[in-house]
Amino acid sequence: MKITVKLFAFLRKGRFAAQEFNVKEGTTVEEIMSNLSITKEEMKIGIILVNGQHSTFQTVLHEGDVLSLFPPAAGG
Amino acid sequence: MTLSQDQLKRYSRHLALKEVGEAGQKKLLHSKVLLVGAGGLGSPVSYYLAAAGIGTIGILDSDRVDFSNLNRQILYKTKDVGQVKVERAKIQLEELNPDVKVNTYFLRLNRENAEEICSGYDVIVDCLDNFATRFIINDICLKLNIPMVHAGVYKYFGQTLTVIPGQGPCLRCIYPDGERLDQAPSCAYDGLIGVIPGVLGTLQVMEILKLLLGIGEANKDSLLYFDGLSLSFDRIKLNPRPDCICRKK
Repeated sequence: MKITVKLFAFLRKGRFAAQEFNVKEGTTVEEIMSNLSITKEEMKIGIILVNGQHSTFQTVLHEGDVLSLFPPAAGG
Repeated sequence: MTLSQDQLKRYSRHLALKEVGEAGQKKLLHSKVLLVGAGGLGSPVSYYLAAAGIGTIGILDSDRVDFSNLNRQILYKTKDVGQVKVERAKIQLEELNPDVKVNTYFLRLNRENAEEICSGYDVIVDCLDNFATRFIINDICLKLNIPMVHAGVYKYFGQTLTVIPGQGPCLRCIYPDGERLDQAPSCAYDGLIGVIPGVLGTLQVMEILKLLLGIGEANKDSLLYFDGLSLSFDRIKLNPRPDCICRKK
């Protein structure tokens, strides 16, 4: 199945801004992160959205899903 | 109320816009906007709101001006170091535009005082540097049915979202376990390019003016993410969390 991964801020460094991937059914957010060498530590307080909705490392992805990963911008 | 000759000149660029005109400018002069935070975001937000002729601007902050603020907090001058921020802000803004009344709150917002302070304002602006207080104003705005314009900045990046109660997602839709964000990376430690809050703050003002004037479309369904390194904007379409407090009314 096809999914799109969008990365923001420092997560783009050495990777990409947005890319489409072919993955097997049942793939989780954590598996995508692992394939991209994004550690859980890096995303400990990161924001995970699937189709714009809050999600977790364990969220299972489906055909056409858009996964967005970014750090929180806390400053003001 | 009739606009004075000085006001006709001061606001002539607004008056020339058919969507604003004299009626719109009068709306702005009667509007009340509260800024929570008078730092990097609060500086451009307050300047442009004052210049636009927002009749009442509330500014809340518990800090004094520090040398480390001066790379981005353009409300303050070197001679202001050590002074109470909201007091310096009031002087600056009322000098910029005497049509503006500035209410100052030299205190920290908490769950006990938030409702009383926020009541009566038309828009609340999140110019904060921490998520704990952001959730307080998020919740109070939902309770009081007041729009909130959020922004946050970090290093070379920033984000903004306009929360309109009942019309779209709130901050807790994105950050349901928000309290863990107290461990979010700090600009004091990781750094921040001074212009980033300038970019995000001026976007917040655009949203506030649209809300007050009833024009355009609010950024209420998407998190707008700015990347200064690639000079790009991304719009992340948001879906409200079905079990979020903003859906329980």
